[in-house]
Amino acid sequence: MTHTTLSTAPRFNLQESFPLIRLLHPKQYAWAVGLSLAVGLTVSWIIVAAGIAPLWAATALTLVILLPAGFFKWRDDYRRYGRTLMLLSILLTAQGLHTIEHLIQWTQYHILYWTMRQSNGLLSPANAEWVHFVWNWLVLIVVLLLLSGGIRNVWMWLLLVVAAFHAVEHTYTFIRYQLILRELTAMDILNVTAQGLPGIVGRDGWLARSEWTRGTWICSIPGLTTAVRLDVHFWWNAIEMTLLGIAGHIALRRRMQSLQLD
Amino acid sequence: MALARFVSPLLVMVCLCSAQAGHPTKTPIPAISSVEATVHVIETPWNATPACSHAFVAHRLDFVHGTRLREINTYISNGAGVAVNDLDNDGDLDLVFASVDGQSTILWNEGGLRFTPETLDARFTRGVAAVDVDGDGWTDIVFTHRGLEPPSFWRNVGSNSRAPRFERHTLPGVDHYAYAMAWGDLNGDGALDLVTGSYGAELKQHGILRPENEPKAGVFLYLQKHGTWESHRLDKRAETLSIAILDLTSDGRPEIWAANDFALEDKVWTYHEGQWKEIRPFDQTSHSTMTIEWGDIDNSGRLALFTTDMNPYDTSPRNLARWLPVINHLGEYRAPGDVQIMANVLLLPGRDGRWSNQAVARGVDASGWSWAAKFGDLDQDGYLDLYVVNGMIAADLFGHLPNGELVEENQAYRNQGDGRFAAVPHWRLNSSASGRGMTMADLDGDGDLDIVVNNLRSFAQIFENQLCTGESIQVDLTWSHSPNPHAVGAQVTLYTHRGAYRRDVRASGGYLSGDPTRLHFGFPAGTRLDALEVQWPDGAISTLQKPTPNRRIHIVREQPEIAYGATK
Repeated sequence: MTHTTLSTAPRFNLQESFPLIRLLHPKQYAWAVGLSLAVGLTVSWIIVAAGIAPLWAATALTLVILLPAGFFKWRDDYRRYGRTLMLLSILLTAQGLHTIEHLIQWTQYHILYWTMRQSNGLLSPANAEWVHFVWNWLVLIVVLLLLSGGIRNVWMWLLLVVAAFHAVEHTYTFIRYQLILRELTAMDILNVTAQGLPGIVGRDGWLARSEWTRGTWICSIPGLTTAVRLDVHFWWNAIEMTLLGIAGHIALRRRMQSLQLD
Repeated sequence: MALARFVSPLLVMVCLCSAQAGHPTKTPIPAISSVEATVHVIETPWNATPACSHAFVAHRLDFVHGTRLREINTYISNGAGVAVNDLDNDGDLDLVFASVDGQSTILWNEGGLRFTPETLDARFTRGVAAVDVDGDGWTDIVFTHRGLEPPSFWRNVGSNSRAPRFERHTLPGVDHYAYAMAWGDLNGDGALDLVTGSYGAELKQHGILRPENEPKAGVFLYLQKHGTWESHRLDKRAETLSIAILDLTSDGRPEIWAANDFALEDKVWTYHEGQWKEIRPFDQTSHSTMTIEWGDIDNSGRLALFTTDMNPYDTSPRNLARWLPVINHLGEYRAPGDVQIMANVLLLPGRDGRWSNQAVARGVDASGWSWAAKFGDLDQDGYLDLYVVNGMIAADLFGHLPNGELVEENQAYRNQGDGRFAAVPHWRLNSSASGRGMTMADLDGDGDLDIVVNNLRSFAQIFENQLCTGESIQVDLTWSHSPNPHAVGAQVTLYTHRGAYRRDVRASGGYLSGDPTRLHFGFPAGTRLDALEVQWPDGAISTLQKPTPNRRIHIVREQPEIAYGATK
């Protein structure tokens, strides 16, 4: 199989200076993406307005409708650039959508002053613990695949560290979620949610309460033991997205330069 | 430096004659200038030797409330308070317990932690303060009540016999609903004034569906003027669980702080240009503020303000499962500019005069479903420790738990010497009774601070301090010929070679409770005591040089107020 390059035009152009944009551009599938998005949003709006399904289900439906277009786009990425860059393309797209989810939560909480329980974004009301537990382990696995596929720079290694901690955090909250559900079930309480409880960092988290760290200098670090969970995960996600973007950009630029040299 | 400040030739050295056990000595201190007050001093050594188990020992008291009801629901669940003061002027601190379902009770202190109960026909009471309202030198009792009643006043008529008699009187003009109260001189006229706050949630249970439209509900300031009380409504909305009167703006005048339950924010008023105006000095406050407590936790001269809220100290899955149905039910209110957080808050002042929350950084942000909290130097190392009582009984909230009770262990925190706190379970203060009102006082006369708790549906408890660490002095102030004989509002500073320890005289405090007017200063053994400075409520100063440790020091000022206004 031959792979095309991301290079090369002598004059400045946005896609050359920022090759991530070129990688993420749907190209010949732009119409399919646009149509799918329009159909998805319309159908979602109708079923939410009609009370047929909750918002999270409508959001999931939109993503499902977008999936075929995405499949063809990423298959094209694979054919053009190979497996690693296809994975980078998928991760950037999915993480970008995930960032939108966190931005919506942030807006709900900080701009609209909804309560923490209400500030659930679009998809998380399905089950924030399952959604984030599965998602963050997938991110960690894909980051490992990107590293093994040759995208190795300091930003990608940093991303690996952050993604690993983030996965650990969600594993901690997921295990506690399951344990609390078990306790609630034992008390015959089946209508109480145990989602959204603190994790390792943030207000009321393990660092804030552990006998080893409680009241120490660690608890004086701004936000580390005082930020609400929504903010903690907004920043986890923002940092991951930033690191992924920089790492991808550098990797693509290097790939372009090596191909030019070739 | 502190010593140098007090060896001024203007000050008269006090010759503290050698005191023998049980035999007080008197030493006059003449007045020096217009801002110095003439006092004489009576010193008494401790009348008991502490037992030493290096922990606290719990004793059951002959008082219980909440047991006459088949089931406890909100807001009976909020329990009642306890006040401590010397009611018969025998030197021992007596106890007064409020009761949500029966008669209130005085426990007369017979010494040696033996108490004789005497019921008082004050029924269905909430808050209690033991304060000399009429300035006759005998400590009176004031209760707030459940339901639609104004505070009741039980005047101590004094007696030559051991037990004085209390007669029910009215406080003319004090006729609004009250849940919490606080006492202090708010207009600088020397007489004690009163601030009360009603509890809207309870008023609704009594048929007042819109308490904010009820003229008798809200936060009220009552100024005492020649035996009558002039009322001023500060706020028509009130869910007030605790009220504090203290100087938050460092201008020498007290502010009024009403701590509110639920989503209603705490309110602070300051006296400005002839009227009380609301200010917002805090960056963060507790959401459902149960109590207000304050003290100089790092001996820096700046106050720390502590409030309690509902926040589990135990975050194990099992405990969170017990809390979650209620937390989900309670919900959360948010609005632009809302500074409330569902956690304990420890406020310290910044350079800009704003108060910021450092509860997490100092390890006291979560102590369970918390009610009363109190600072006190329990281990007598010179730093204020913290004790918080907690627990909840409410079948309508915790129906999923046995007896509708959230069982929690009271939390004791030792000050590590820098204003940070660490839990000290080995002090054995972790009672699982459902504590509500609480205060600290030396109840056995051995010099250290004991703790008394009014539990709901369990016997009241005293926790006898048997830590046997450090030394102490205690200070009683008497201001003869003043309408404020116990000098409520006075600031007392003990200067030592280790630093300065500051206390203030209060008549009410914490959650529904009354603090003793006797002050306790702990310090490590061997500490050199340089001076004891009293700033009286009128601003006059009295200084006692080189006080002797391990004494109760009774400072008596014969001179009436000389300096109101001039010294403030």
